[in-house]
Amino acid sequence: MTAITVELNGVKVVDDVEPRLSLADFLRDRCGLTATHLGCEHGACGACTVMVDGLATRSCLTLAAMADGRSVSTLEGLRGDPLMALLRRHFHESHALQCGFCTPGMLIAARDILQRHTRPDDKTVRHELSGQICRCTGYANIVKAIVAAGQKMPQEPSPPPPAATSQS
Amino acid sequence: MVVSSSSDNWIGASLLRKEDARHLLGHGMFIADVRMPGVQDVAFVRSDMAHAQVRRVIKPVGGTAQVFTLSDLDPMHILEAGPELAAHRHSPYPALSDGRVRYVGQPIAACIAPSRALAEDLADHVEVELEALPAVVDCVAAMKPGSPRLFDTWPDNAFIASSVQEGDPALAQAPIRLRRQLRMNRQATVSLECRGVLAHWDHRHDELVVYLSTQGGHVVRIGLARALGLPENKVRVIAPDVGGGFGGKNRIMPEDIAVAALALKVGHPVRWIEDRREHLVASVHARDHFYDLTISAKADGTLLGVEGEVYIDAGAYSLWPTGSFMEASMASRNLTGPYRIQHLNLKTFTVATNKAPMGPYRGVARPGACFAIERLVDEVARELGREPFDLRRQNIVTAGELPYRTAAGMRLDTGDYVAALESARDMIDLPAIRARQAKPEPDGRAIGVGFAFYTEQSGHGTVEWVKRKSRVVPGYESANVRMQPDGSLIIHVGTQNHGQGHETTLAQIAAHELSLDPSQISIRYGDTATTPFGFGTFASRSIVFAGGAVARSCRMLIEKIRKIGAHLLQTDVTSTRIEAGAVHGPSGSVSFAEIAYAANVRQEHLPVGMDPLLDVTGTYEPTETGGVFAYGTHAVVVAVEPDTGVVEILDYAVSEDCGTMINPMIVDGQVQGGIAQGIGTALYEEIPYDEIGQPLATTFGDYMVPCAPEIPTVRLHHLVHPAEATEYGVKGLGEGGAIAPPAAIANAIADAFRGIGASFNETPLTPRRVSEAIDRARRAKADGTSPAP
Repeated sequence: MTAITVELNGVKVVDDVEPRLSLADFLRDRCGLTATHLGCEHGACGACTVMVDGLATRSCLTLAAMADGRSVSTLEGLRGDPLMALLRRHFHESHALQCGFCTPGMLIAARDILQRHTRPDDKTVRHELSGQICRCTGYANIVKAIVAAGQKMPQEPSPPPPAATSQS
Repeated sequence: MVVSSSSDNWIGASLLRKEDARHLLGHGMFIADVRMPGVQDVAFVRSDMAHAQVRRVIKPVGGTAQVFTLSDLDPMHILEAGPELAAHRHSPYPALSDGRVRYVGQPIAACIAPSRALAEDLADHVEVELEALPAVVDCVAAMKPGSPRLFDTWPDNAFIASSVQEGDPALAQAPIRLRRQLRMNRQATVSLECRGVLAHWDHRHDELVVYLSTQGGHVVRIGLARALGLPENKVRVIAPDVGGGFGGKNRIMPEDIAVAALALKVGHPVRWIEDRREHLVASVHARDHFYDLTISAKADGTLLGVEGEVYIDAGAYSLWPTGSFMEASMASRNLTGPYRIQHLNLKTFTVATNKAPMGPYRGVARPGACFAIERLVDEVARELGREPFDLRRQNIVTAGELPYRTAAGMRLDTGDYVAALESARDMIDLPAIRARQAKPEPDGRAIGVGFAFYTEQSGHGTVEWVKRKSRVVPGYESANVRMQPDGSLIIHVGTQNHGQGHETTLAQIAAHELSLDPSQISIRYGDTATTPFGFGTFASRSIVFAGGAVARSCRMLIEKIRKIGAHLLQTDVTSTRIEAGAVHGPSGSVSFAEIAYAANVRQEHLPVGMDPLLDVTGTYEPTETGGVFAYGTHAVVVAVEPDTGVVEILDYAVSEDCGTMINPMIVDGQVQGGIAQGIGTALYEEIPYDEIGQPLATTFGDYMVPCAPEIPTVRLHHLVHPAEATEYGVKGLGEGGAIAPPAAIANAIADAFRGIGASFNETPLTPRRVSEAIDRARRAKADGTSPAP
């Protein structure tokens, strides 16, 4: 077992985990945070995307042990976040979800896009979303929602995170 | 007597969805989110051979009590699946292997452990000795004499062979006769949430509770109860939030039965959450049609007949209840398309192969049939040197001819097919594309434009399903409408919302009927213990059937509300009207809340002799049970890089008609989403098998699901010709988007290379297939021969 300390949604969590336990399973099974969904468990669909130290990260490809000493945010921890509130509103108004399974990962990815791009256009959003699968909507309304939210962002985005790529 | 809503007409309002909030906050409750004390996880040991005898299963030392084969479970009944036709052969499909395995991924043993990881560890240590048998992997070769057989008692590999013969064979003796072979390859359904099941014995209710990610819990319960030998009042099926289905969650699968049987055996809750590899290898597979067809036409372009053979590669077993025979019957019955084709002569073969069993997938058979007939129409146009659009326009059924009975006996009801064609042509600007094609593109790519027309049978009732010899006959739906003492409403339906927005649209219908606000109405579903019997959500049926059942039940309820209101107002029922959640009389009004309070808890205020409660269960079936047909034209412009074969969609326009729209925003979302899946079928998604029956796409690394950069925002135009046979004139529309894209896109690619006569008759049109077809055509042209069809 490996002892880990994670700042999870702003709260310090201490646990002993199997070295092979994924961050996604840690969040879902040990912490009860089921907003993070598993769609493929091999890093292709993006449903499990969470923020690790400010970077959008596949929690299925990240071991819980790798999150030791790091800060992890899930959708549950971003309920009060103003940018997430803006995105939720535009996802709702643009009919950007159907079954809802991809939605948490989409929202985390969308927030990450808007933090790295000022008022991104349709093409930029599509490119940035290329690691997120939605099987229901055909993406058009998701792109529309993110573009619209970008237009409504009150201030310039914060400086981009240090790494050039944000996917683990 | 008038019912009018106070402010809004909810029929036709793009009301934002009631189901969004929980998902946006991460509060959705999907099968893997259900928490059950004491639950243990199941991992299956699966066959890694396509066809084999299971010689031995050796359980690991120390793990024998946690590993279960079929003989470790209590005896189960095998469900006979497929149409109720004597000619349809039975393919007994046990929950765990009975000594023979017939596809890679078939469950052999189940391992139980406190976590999935530990269950997989256990599964890794189970030794299975298989003795290989010859694998049957090609559905055409499978029907040749001497082919190895899947089932020893069958004379060949056909689940069923059938034929369709309509019209005068002399019509086929025409100046134009073109033979083409077309193939739509096998794919998975790929709901983003995989399948899952959690089962336990609830001691308080003394019943088996099965949480299942399903599109129709009531029908599943029938099958589970029969398989397990339990009475149905001892089985409760609960569908939590379902993360997509598309048909893939509308059959009983062996894992469902096995997990339920394990729960009965071990006495604690057990669950199995499918992973993506299992989903791609062993969940419902779809499409996999092969057509060898000859189309006949007059020299003036009049289409006359379609003849030939249709092969459905149905995999190893029929899935309960209906198997996959509908693929063949629907494919052949849709092969006339919307055209005045009078002659059909088809042989169909639904063939057993050593692949995962076929199930329904959005569009069921029609994507293949549409691909076949719409490709053939373009081929005739090319042969005649005609503009494909004009040939369609010449042969398509006109508004004046509707209702029109096709050669295969389907009654196309209302609409204006010509208007759909012409508006799509105008949206895509066909003359501008033709002008653009006259000059080479600066980047060397070739531009093509393609059209495809589809019809989408929906809302078909008893007669149609009986005709199909369906084992269950989903000819109606039901709704229970219950007004609470404060006047708010809870409606239980037997359909299963899993992305379609029923919580919103069914509330709109009830709001319309009762002059309430949708916010006062809750729509519930997905629990056999609380909902009236229903068949679930599939076949573009829910808005027709469940919408109709809600409307009818609300009307029954409103009559009672009106009688109570008239009594309280001391007036005659005929002088009342319903408005804004109240019964109004000549000298005042009484709110539904007051009426509901009287009906539920102050029954002394009811008219003498009236039963208390405002609680109505009604059923509904449309008046025309052959179905109502949505339809539309897809028009697409592609750019193709000839050497690499990479296809980019430049423009996609749709002109469609699904009758009255309850919620146009949701309609648009269904069309766009269906088209994305159709584009997947057309260009990306495929599960190939090698010659020994090994599936070659087992992860999202090799199974290509289109993402945002590949899917255009579709431009949509709606025609609205209401159905005559349904409430409000609605037609189902969930599947239509997925039907036409393979045909339209293949036609566009063929159009780009019409000068060299390249054929694009196999999906998905991957870069390799496209570039090879171009290369073949170029070589043939250089040699002065004609390329193979």
